[in-house]
Amino acid sequence: MALAIAKENVARWLEKLLQAGEVVAPVRSSCGDVLFSTITSAEQVVWDFPNSLHPPKELLLPQTDPIVRITRRGQHHEVEPIIDRTRRFLFNVRSCDAKGIAFLTRMQEMEPADASYLRRSNNLTVISLACTTPCQLGFCICTDSGPFLRDSYDAQLTDLGESYLVEVASPKGEAAVAEAQSLFRDATEGEVTQRQKLEDAARRHFGEETCHFASAMRRISTCRVPDALWEKMSDWCLECGGCSVVCPTCYCFSVKDLGCDGTWIRCRVRDSCQYSAFTLEASGHNPRAQRKDRMKRRFFHKVSAQYYKRDGAVGCVGCGRCIKVCLGTTHMPAVVAAIRKGKWHE
Amino acid sequence: MNDVFLPDIACLADVRDETPDTRTFQLLFRDSKKDFHFFPGQFLELSVFGYGEAPFCIASSPSRPEALETTVRHTGLLTDALHKLGEGDEVGIRGPFGNGFDMEAARGKDLLFVAGGIGLPPLRSLIWNVLDERSCFGNVTILYGARTPTDLVYKEELDDWAKRADVEFHVTVDTASPGWTGTVGVVPSLFNKVTFHPESTLAYVCGPPIMIRIVIQDLLARGFKEDSIISTLERMMQCGVGKCNHCAIGHRYVCRDGPVFNYGQIKELVE
Amino acid sequence: MLAVPTACPFCSCGCGLYLLAKDGQLVGVAPSETHLISEGRLCARGWAAHEAARWGDRLRQPLLGRNGKQEPACWDEALDYVVTRLKKLLNAGKPVGVLGSARATNEENYLMGRLARAGLRTNNIDFAYRSVCSPILDGIEEVCGRLPPAIRLNDIAATHVILLAEGNLAETHPRVASFVLRALESGAHLITIGYRKTQMTRLASLHLQLRPGNEGVVINGLLAAMFDLDLKERLSTVIGVEAIRRDLDQVERTNEVRQAAEWIASADRAAFLIAPGCGQSDQRDAATTFAELAAISGHLNRSGSGLLPLVARSNAWGAWDMGIAPDRLPGHDLLDGARSRQRVEDLWGKKLPTAEGLSAEALLQSVSGLIVVADDPPSVMPRRQDAMAAMGRIEFLVALDAFVTPTTRVAHAVLPITSFAETDGTFTNMEGRVQKLRAASNPLAEARTGWQVLAELCARFEAGASYSSVSDVLREVGQAAPRYAGIERKLSKDGWGGAMIETIDSTKFALQPSRTTVMEELTSAERPYLLIRDGTFDWGCDPLICYSPTLSRDYRSEQKLFPTGFVEISQGDASSLKLGAGRRAKLSSVHGDAIVPVLVSRDLEPGVLFVPYGFRDHVSSVLGAHGVAAVSVERG
Repeated sequence: MALAIAKENVARWLEKLLQAGEVVAPVRSSCGDVLFSTITSAEQVVWDFPNSLHPPKELLLPQTDPIVRITRRGQHHEVEPIIDRTRRFLFNVRSCDAKGIAFLTRMQEMEPADASYLRRSNNLTVISLACTTPCQLGFCICTDSGPFLRDSYDAQLTDLGESYLVEVASPKGEAAVAEAQSLFRDATEGEVTQRQKLEDAARRHFGEETCHFASAMRRISTCRVPDALWEKMSDWCLECGGCSVVCPTCYCFSVKDLGCDGTWIRCRVRDSCQYSAFTLEASGHNPRAQRKDRMKRRFFHKVSAQYYKRDGAVGCVGCGRCIKVCLGTTHMPAVVAAIRKGKWHE
Repeated sequence: MNDVFLPDIACLADVRDETPDTRTFQLLFRDSKKDFHFFPGQFLELSVFGYGEAPFCIASSPSRPEALETTVRHTGLLTDALHKLGEGDEVGIRGPFGNGFDMEAARGKDLLFVAGGIGLPPLRSLIWNVLDERSCFGNVTILYGARTPTDLVYKEELDDWAKRADVEFHVTVDTASPGWTGTVGVVPSLFNKVTFHPESTLAYVCGPPIMIRIVIQDLLARGFKEDSIISTLERMMQCGVGKCNHCAIGHRYVCRDGPVFNYGQIKELVE
Repeated sequence: MLAVPTACPFCSCGCGLYLLAKDGQLVGVAPSETHLISEGRLCARGWAAHEAARWGDRLRQPLLGRNGKQEPACWDEALDYVVTRLKKLLNAGKPVGVLGSARATNEENYLMGRLARAGLRTNNIDFAYRSVCSPILDGIEEVCGRLPPAIRLNDIAATHVILLAEGNLAETHPRVASFVLRALESGAHLITIGYRKTQMTRLASLHLQLRPGNEGVVINGLLAAMFDLDLKERLSTVIGVEAIRRDLDQVERTNEVRQAAEWIASADRAAFLIAPGCGQSDQRDAATTFAELAAISGHLNRSGSGLLPLVARSNAWGAWDMGIAPDRLPGHDLLDGARSRQRVEDLWGKKLPTAEGLSAEALLQSVSGLIVVADDPPSVMPRRQDAMAAMGRIEFLVALDAFVTPTTRVAHAVLPITSFAETDGTFTNMEGRVQKLRAASNPLAEARTGWQVLAELCARFEAGASYSSVSDVLREVGQAAPRYAGIERKLSKDGWGGAMIETIDSTKFALQPSRTTVMEELTSAERPYLLIRDGTFDWGCDPLICYSPTLSRDYRSEQKLFPTGFVEISQGDASSLKLGAGRRAKLSSVHGDAIVPVLVSRDLEPGVLFVPYGFRDHVSSVLGAHGVAAVSVERG
C-alpha cells in the first residue's frame, strides 16, 4: 500500500503521533550533533541529515537497561520485572538502522525469547526515511540494508519534493497512519514511479563499488586469515569498544546489580567483546586474553558463514559508523579489505 | 512469555563445608509448587542479590529431586558473598541451562568417570543418577584426584563409592599429608589400576583445563574414540540463554550448545 | 531522554561527550562529531563515563566521626562542627592545610585556594597528583617559562615526526594515541623512548631503549645529535647555546639518535609528547631536555608543532593553573611575585600569608587539620602506605567527595559533594583548553554542589564573596588569573565552546646546561637487576574506574588474583632464573627485600623488572624512596 502526505501536513501527523505515544526522532543538539531524542514538538525533527553517529538502537537496548527490581523485606526478597510498555514511534530512522533493529529483534526472538526486549520492540513503530542521497561513508548496498528498504520497516517515507511517499508494511504502520488518516491520500502512479527512480539514482550513487564481504567471509569462516595478520591489525586497535557501542547489530551485554541496602535494580549493561575482561573467568583464566583473539572474534561473529547461516545476514548493515568512531583504524571496511588482500597498511 | 532474566527465589536449606574454600549449598525453591526438571550436567544462574549472577553446575542428581545442590569454590566477589550466606538465606535461581549429559546414549555402556579437584561436582550429578539406575549400565569406574587430601570434595560419598561392590573407585592426591595412606600422583596415574574396553566405554572427564588435556590425550592413546570422550567446558557465562555472547566459541554457545561436548566437538570449535 | 554535552572526566585530553539521562538517571554516553578533540571518537573510559556516577559507592549525607564510627548528621551541624574544630586548631597555633584535586573543577580548586590562603591563612595547599606530574611540568617550565607552547591535539594527526616519551600512551591517553595512529597512516615517523615495549613502540619507526642509568646518555645524545645538524636561524629563539654545546661535547651520538635528530630537524611539523615516568631517575631533567630539543629544532614556535605534557587526570592542568601548590597563586604565578600577590590580595581583600607552605607529602606528615577535596591522596602518591599512615595520624581530617574512598572512610567529617555528572564547572585540558562541564542529573540525596560547599566554608572563615552561580566563580578566576580573563564570557554561549588560555606567542627559550650525560651504573655484581616502578597512572584506584562495572573488571581481577601484587620480568630472565608464571621471586636491594609473584612479559628488556604503580606498596621495602632500585632476584 503506498500513500502520500503533503510536506505541510507532516507536522500535523507528528502532533497526532505525539498524542498517541512517545516520538523519538533525529534532533539537532545545542552543540550541532544530530541525536535521536524524544521530541515534544514537530519542529524539532531534523529531515536533512546523513545519519546520527549515535544509533537509535539505544531505544531498544540502552547502554544501561534496568530489567529486574529486587527488594529485600526482612529475610525475604521480592523480584519483579521492570516493564516498559510505552508506545513509541521511531521517526525518520535511516534504512540501515531499521535493518539493524530488525536484526536485533530476530536475535532476541530466538528461543528463549527475551520478553523485556520484545515488549519494547512490539510497541515500537519504525517509520523510516529512505536515503535518496546516500551518506558519505555508508556501504549499505553491500549488506542489502539500503539505501531504500524492502522490509524491516512499519512505514517508509520517501522525499518526493512536495510530499512524502508513505509505504506501509505492517499493522503497526497502518495504525500510525490511522492516527491522522485524513492527512494521507493514495499515492499516484507517477509518485510510485518517481520513488523507483530515486531509488535507482541512490543505488547508482555507490558507483561500481563491489561487495568484498564474500571473499572475507570465505577466509574467516575457514580460519584462513593468518594469525600474523590479526596480530598486526590488533596493534592498530585501541580497544575503545566504540565499534560495539554504535554498531546497529551489536548486542553483547553483562548483567549487574545496581543499588545498595536491600533495593537493587538488576541491569543489562551493554558490553563489548573487544574488552579484555569480556571472557575473563572467575578463576583468572581468559580464553581471549590477547587483543588479536578478540578482534578475530568480532569479525567471526560479524562476517563468518557460520553466523550468516544462523542469522540470515552478515552482522553489518553498512552504516559506516565504525569508520567514524574507531579510535584506531580497524573498522569494518578496513579489516574486510585487509583480509581480502592479506595485507595491512602496506 | 516469561522474563528470561527474572530469577526464582530459593533459600539455602543446608550449607556444608567440603574443603576450606569449597561449600555445598542445598537450594529449596520458596515456591514449593515450582516445577524444576533438569539433566545431569546442566547448570544454574545463581543470584546473590546485590552482587549479580554467576553460573554453577548442578551437583545433585535428578533422581534425588528433594535436594537440589550446587558446590561452589570461593574465587571472586560473588562467591565470596555467597559463602557468607547461611541456612535460611535467600538467593535467586534461573535455569536449568545447557544441554546436560546424554543419559540415553550412556545406557548399556561401561562408564568411566575421571575427575580432578572441583571437577567432580558436575560428574557427581551424573554418577548418582547412574547409581540410582545401576542396572541400566555396564561397569562403572570412578577415578578422582585432588591436590591434597583436604581438597577432596564429598568425602563421605567417596567412602561410600569405595565400599560399593558395583563401582570401581580410585582416588589419588598430588601431595599427601600426614595420615594419607592412599595413592599419591596425578589422576592419569590411576589408569594403570583399572582395565577398560574403549570400544564399549564412555569416558567423562572433568577438572582443571590442564588435567583435561592430559587425560584426553591418554585416553586417545588407549584407544578411545573422540566422541566417546565427554567433557564440560567452562566459560564466562552471563545470560545462560545464548544472548549475551560471553561464552561464544565460534558460532557455538557453551551455555546453550554445551557445556557438555564430546572431544570430537571440542576439536571443531573455532576460538 | 536528555543528552547533556559535557567534558569527559577521565584523562586530560578533554574529549567532549553527551551524558544521556532518562528519568534523572544516567543511562549512557553518546559521541559527538562536532567536538574539536573527540571528532566522534571516545576511548573505553569515555564510553563508560555514565557508569561511575550511577553505580559508585556514593556519599549521600554528611557524616561525623562520633563514638568511633561515622554517623549521619545534617549539613548545618556538620559545617558547624568542621568550622569549630578547624578554628580550635588554628587558635592553638597548630598547622592546617588543604589538598585540592586533579579531578575537581577549576572553580572548586580556585575556591580551595581562597579557603586555604584567605580563610585558613596558610600556604599549605597542594594536590596529590602534583607529586607525580610536577617533575615534567617543572622541567618544561625551565625552558619555556610558565606558558609552554602546546601543540593542539588534533594537529598531531598532521605532524611528520612524533617523539613520544612513554608511559604507555595507548592506555594512558587513547585519544592522543589515536591521533598518532592517524599521523602514522599518512607516513609520519614515530620515535618512542621508554623502558619497555608497548603497543606504540611496535608501531614506531625507531625505538630508543631506556634503562635506568642511561637516560642521560640517550636523551642528551639526541640533543647533541640535534646540535650537530645545521640549525641556522632556529637558534635565534634560544639562549644559552654555547654553554650547553660545551656540555654535550662528549656525549655519544649513536646512529639511532642521529637518525631521530635528522627526522625531527627536517620535519615541517613535529610533536613532542612527554609522559610522567619517563627518565625515572631524573624526570625533570629529561623533560627539560625534551623541551630543549623541541626549542632548538624550531618546533616550539611553529604552528602545528609543539610539545604536550601527558598528564593523566582530567583537570591536573586546571588545578595547576588555579594555584594549587604551596608556592603558587591563581594563574600559576609565583606566590612571592609582588604584582601577582598584590592582585590577589586586592581581589580577596585579605593579606596573603607569607610563611612558606608545605607540599602534599610534607603536609600530610605535619598538619593537625586537613581538608581533602575530591581525592584519595594515598592512592595517587608514590608512597601510599606512608601517606595513609600519615593521614591516620591527623587530628582532624575533613573529606569532601562524591564517592566513598579510603580517605573518606578515615575522615572525622565527611561532606558529600557532587560528582562530575551533577555539577557545572570547567576543566582545563593538557593543551590549556578550558571546557564546560554540565550537570546531567541532580545532586544525589543530600549531596551539595562542590563549589557551593567550598564557598560556604570560605564565608565561614571570613574569606567569602557571594556567588550566585558557578559562572560568578569563573569570572572571579579571570580576575585572579589573568590568563583566564574573559574565559567566562567565551564559555557562556551554547555549544561546545572551549577557550584556550592565553599563551605567549614569541619568547626566548632558555637552555639549561650541566646535566648528567654519563652512563650511571646502578647495578652491581651483587645486585644485577633493576626494579622500576611503572610511572603509568594507576587508574584502577580512581573511583571513576573502580566503581564502573565495565571498567573495573580487569583491575578487580588483578587485585583478586594477585592480592600480594606482582612484578613483571622479561622472558629471558624468567627462564634463566627458572621463574615461570605463578612463581614468586625474592627481591633484595640495599633498602630491604620482598617476596612477590612474577608475571613473565614479552615487553621487557633483560635485566629490568617492572612493578605496576598500583602494586608499588608490595615492593616499597625494596624501592625505598625512589622509583628505581638495583636488586638481586632469586626464587622466593
